[in-house]
Amino acid sequence: MSDFFAIDLTLRQGRFVLHLAARLGETAAVVGPSGAGKTSLLEAIAGLRRAEGRIAVGGEVLQDSAAGVFLPPERRRLGYVPQDGALFPHLSVLRNLTFGRPSARPSTDADLAALVALLDLGSLLTRYPRHLSGGERRRVALGRALLAHPRLLLLDEPTTGLDPVRARKALAGIRRVHQELGVPLLVVTHQPQEALALASEVLLLDGGTVRAVGPARQVLLAPGVLAQEGGRRWENYVRGTLVRHHASGGSTEVRLDGGEAVTIPHTPDLAEGADLLLSIDAEDLLLATAPPVGLSARNAVAGRVDELIPVGSSVYARVGPWLAHLTPAAVAELGLAAGSPVWLVAKTHSWRVVA
Amino acid sequence: MIRRDSRGDPTIETGQIVLFTLAAAAAATALNLAPGIAMAWLLSRRGWRGRTVVETLVSLPLVLPPTAVGLALLLLFGRNGPLGRPFYAVFGFDIAFTWRGVVLASAIMSFPLLVRSARSAFEEIDPRLPAVARTLGRGPWRAFFEVELPLAWRGVLAGTVLSFARALGEFGATILVAGNIPGRTQTLALALFQEVQMGRDREALELAGIAALLAALALGLSEALMRRREKTLAD
Repeated sequence: MSDFFAIDLTLRQGRFVLHLAARLGETAAVVGPSGAGKTSLLEAIAGLRRAEGRIAVGGEVLQDSAAGVFLPPERRRLGYVPQDGALFPHLSVLRNLTFGRPSARPSTDADLAALVALLDLGSLLTRYPRHLSGGERRRVALGRALLAHPRLLLLDEPTTGLDPVRARKALAGIRRVHQELGVPLLVVTHQPQEALALASEVLLLDGGTVRAVGPARQVLLAPGVLAQEGGRRWENYVRGTLVRHHASGGSTEVRLDGGEAVTIPHTPDLAEGADLLLSIDAEDLLLATAPPVGLSARNAVAGRVDELIPVGSSVYARVGPWLAHLTPAAVAELGLAAGSPVWLVAKTHSWRVVA
Repeated sequence: MIRRDSRGDPTIETGQIVLFTLAAAAAATALNLAPGIAMAWLLSRRGWRGRTVVETLVSLPLVLPPTAVGLALLLLFGRNGPLGRPFYAVFGFDIAFTWRGVVLASAIMSFPLLVRSARSAFEEIDPRLPAVARTLGRGPWRAFFEVELPLAWRGVLAGTVLSFARALGEFGATILVAGNIPGRTQTLALALFQEVQMGRDREALELAGIAALLAALALGLSEALMRRREKTLAD
């Protein structure tokens, strides 16, 4: 695990105490339920809230209470993007974007143009925040933070309040920004799937302490995490590479990072060799105990049930990195148990290209 | 021009009094502006000790008899008062029974109106906005002047107009601190009182009419500003 971001902090809010110590890499997520102090944590990292302890980003110490170091927020160079964007209502989109732009840099106009194109803000520049949709506000807020050239982006619940389609678009935008500009990310979210989509390392918060830190999948797919999530609709996120298009078959072939080949709906606008983030709902993954034959579904991947996670009145089967949503009746009928060999089956059109 | 009443006695110079009243109210408002905005901002912050005490002190002139405030000011700023004496020693002039007393009394009496209106405007601001401005490289002062003040300015302006209107009509505190000296400390309200005492009802009514007109203009302006602010917020 890298130590791009090192934190050892104690946050107090009334009687609530959050203590956390961790070292994280350049794409990290803090996952925890609402009320776990995630927003306060981001505010403390940004220097907006006093907390005891030490914070270092990229080797630079932003705060070290023991040594009497406390950089004020304006000198931390962290790109804080609050939950719904918190745009300045009295300024146009353009002036919001350029608010934090370092005026001394000669390259700033080019930066602005590139970012406007990247985040698709061209048509919004003269508008005011009150006339923007939730998704647009977040994009502007992301752009505003990025134009200040932050050493780390702090994203607070980047998709809360957006419908699933817009949420995926927002995640795609953040990933694109990360890939194109190479800005490190720290996301706080209550949605494990969002953390999986954006971060390679995850810190799991629970009751004011760190319950687990580590690679995203390992932490978030560990037994019990999902059960605690309370059976929220789960989207599987997986990365892969586009192999080739089959125009006549109406499909596109993708090789997943795990080596499996899957077919997704034909997406001619993506180039062969492109790096993709795909998603599929746990509801849309079927389990079969034998290799499926005579089925219209085009994707079948062999695997083994790692565990069965009861959540409310249903069961999630974890097969490698995948979660499939089942009824207890189906589990009984198929005689599924940890260790059972299974085939995961999915329709081509159940796959979505996130980014 | 010296005006004469029906008996031929000289009466008060109306134009001069109106000008003096406007000038004194403007000076009082100007004096209040910076401390008023600072106080409003401070009171809009939550969670500091002594906030309730400060809040009460600031609002006191709204509920106390103005003459009680005037008496307190007279005791403090009279030539032998604990503030008036050093002031005289340093600057060589008096506050009590001069135009400065008029300005001081109207300033103190109108201060709470400015603070209340400006404070509620600051309270309406999403606290994350100045916070985000800080993360975008602004120090606390620049965050205030570039984000908080522009967002609160209608409330600040409305409060300024309101306190100006209050200062125009100030009577009770002024008459104790500054007296009622024609040509020196006499404002519209004080002149009106004098006319009534002298039995010149027609002249008194005339002054009352002028005072009503000025106050109505100021209040109308304040209302219009508040309404536009509500509209902006509702958008």
